[in-house]
Amino acid sequence: MTQPDLRMSPPAERGRALTILLDGQPLGCHEGESIAAALLAAGRRSTRVTARAGEPRGYFCGMGVCHDCLVTADGLPNVRACMTPVKEGLRVEIQRGLGEWGVQS
Amino acid sequence: MRSAACVVVGGGPAGLAAARTAARHGVRVVLVDENAELGGQYYRQLPAAFSGGAGAHPVKEQAEGRRLMDEVRALGVEVMAGAVAWGIFDQRTVAVATQDETTRIAADTVVLAPGAYDRPVPFPGWTLPGVLTAGGAQNLMKAYRVLPGRRVLVVGSGPLLLVVAHYLLQGGAQVVSLCEASSLRGLWRYAHRLLPHLDFVQQGRRYRRELAGAGVPVLTGHVILRATGATEVTGATIARCDDDWRPIPGSEQTLEADALIVGYGLVSSLELSRLAGCEHRWEAALGGWAPVRNRDMESTVPGVFIVGDGAGVAGSAVALEEGHLAGLSVAHRLGRLTGRDYSGEANRARGRLLHLQGFRRVMDEIFRFGAGIYSLADEQTTLCRCEEVTVGEALLALREGATHVNEVKAWTRVGMGRCQGRLCGPALAHVVAHETGRPVTESGVFTPRPPAKPVTMAALAREIE
Repeated sequence: MTQPDLRMSPPAERGRALTILLDGQPLGCHEGESIAAALLAAGRRSTRVTARAGEPRGYFCGMGVCHDCLVTADGLPNVRACMTPVKEGLRVEIQRGLGEWGVQS
Repeated sequence: MRSAACVVVGGGPAGLAAARTAARHGVRVVLVDENAELGGQYYRQLPAAFSGGAGAHPVKEQAEGRRLMDEVRALGVEVMAGAVAWGIFDQRTVAVATQDETTRIAADTVVLAPGAYDRPVPFPGWTLPGVLTAGGAQNLMKAYRVLPGRRVLVVGSGPLLLVVAHYLLQGGAQVVSLCEASSLRGLWRYAHRLLPHLDFVQQGRRYRRELAGAGVPVLTGHVILRATGATEVTGATIARCDDDWRPIPGSEQTLEADALIVGYGLVSSLELSRLAGCEHRWEAALGGWAPVRNRDMESTVPGVFIVGDGAGVAGSAVALEEGHLAGLSVAHRLGRLTGRDYSGEANRARGRLLHLQGFRRVMDEIFRFGAGIYSLADEQTTLCRCEEVTVGEALLALREGATHVNEVKAWTRVGMGRCQGRLCGPALAHVVAHETGRPVTESGVFTPRPPAKPVTMAALAREIE
């Protein structure tokens, strides 16, 4: 299955390839990318589902203001995907509602 | 608690320029910025891990920003990056937090350069994933080199839309259409005022030619009506609008797109200037509040200077000059620059600023903000994205007797979420004005409260002396 890749420049110009886990599934990305950039490059627009209406939300302001691109990262809820860099093995979960504290490994 | 001669908040063009000038005159400066790397939005760099890292600058302003950052560091400015200024106490004590710890800095002088963010404009579908702001789209493409979509619709007003469309075309995306709300009629009337600023005008023309070459329809006097899609955006409806940016019924047009970029201008970040107790006034041309300043860039709170887009949106060229002027004022106030040395340099800076402001005023008139854009939302439209409060719920509170944004907040939770009212405040003020029949300046503003950005309990529990 081919993944959509919205990266503008060739991978060679990016940081070294690494893998994060998105809801348990491996997702290839590059060192230096934010979680939001990595998800958007793969065509994954939703980062969370809201608490009240259960609506999908994603990257909006892109500069840490709107707090809409929240994810749970390594068990820590309410992490701004646009402000947080990826790292090898980072466990990213699409946040449901207000989020829950995960078990720190 | 520690002390400092000068704390500069914000590492974009304005803050960097202020830090550089103050440091050049021997002032010990602490520069605080929330991002891991300095630069703000305009100078936003490629991630250091990208090949060539700090040395690779595909965009002109990234190279310019890098030089300025290097200069600031070489001058011995203490840079606190990845640290958020979350409060100002006793006028000039700045509270700063990282992920793990907090510190308070009692400063003799404070320069606020917090910048601006995209004016939030609610319309049906604006919360759908794939709808993003012009600033967010620019960051994604400029810093991370990632496209927001393949078939992208760009709506809003102002020169930033042209820049965004340029990045999209460079990246190989299709720009479905560019909808500029202003009519851009009678531009010839501005010709004589634009003559001294031909470089800016020519840059704009280059962008327009690129769009024309790519066959992108540029629709002036058009606004977004709604974004559509089940779980993410798949299309949008646009319409013609009047001079107040109010859509004209019967002129709707539906377009397919996999991303929608929205940019109806920018609004200043005023949280810190409000927490410091500075006076603000309504700037009709900008369609927003801005701090009151004297000719030295000083706010109504002595020793607190405010520069750049955070003091009324005017762009990077003005930001650089204002920052420089504030740096001179700081050095003057601290006795590092006196007499003619100060007045000469300050007057030259004011002269350049006056020249640049001439261009900004023309831009403000051409792209004059139209409050009719706030009529796009219907009662089901989300007003407060954090707390999921609809326009209808806010209207209900107003019909039950609320008359001020803070009353609507208390009744509905609008503005109580993590963005702390930044995304709903401007629109709510217009909803209140419309419903009460009073001017928008009478709607009030949310009472600012620290922390201005969310801070972890761990950080608050660990204060560094």
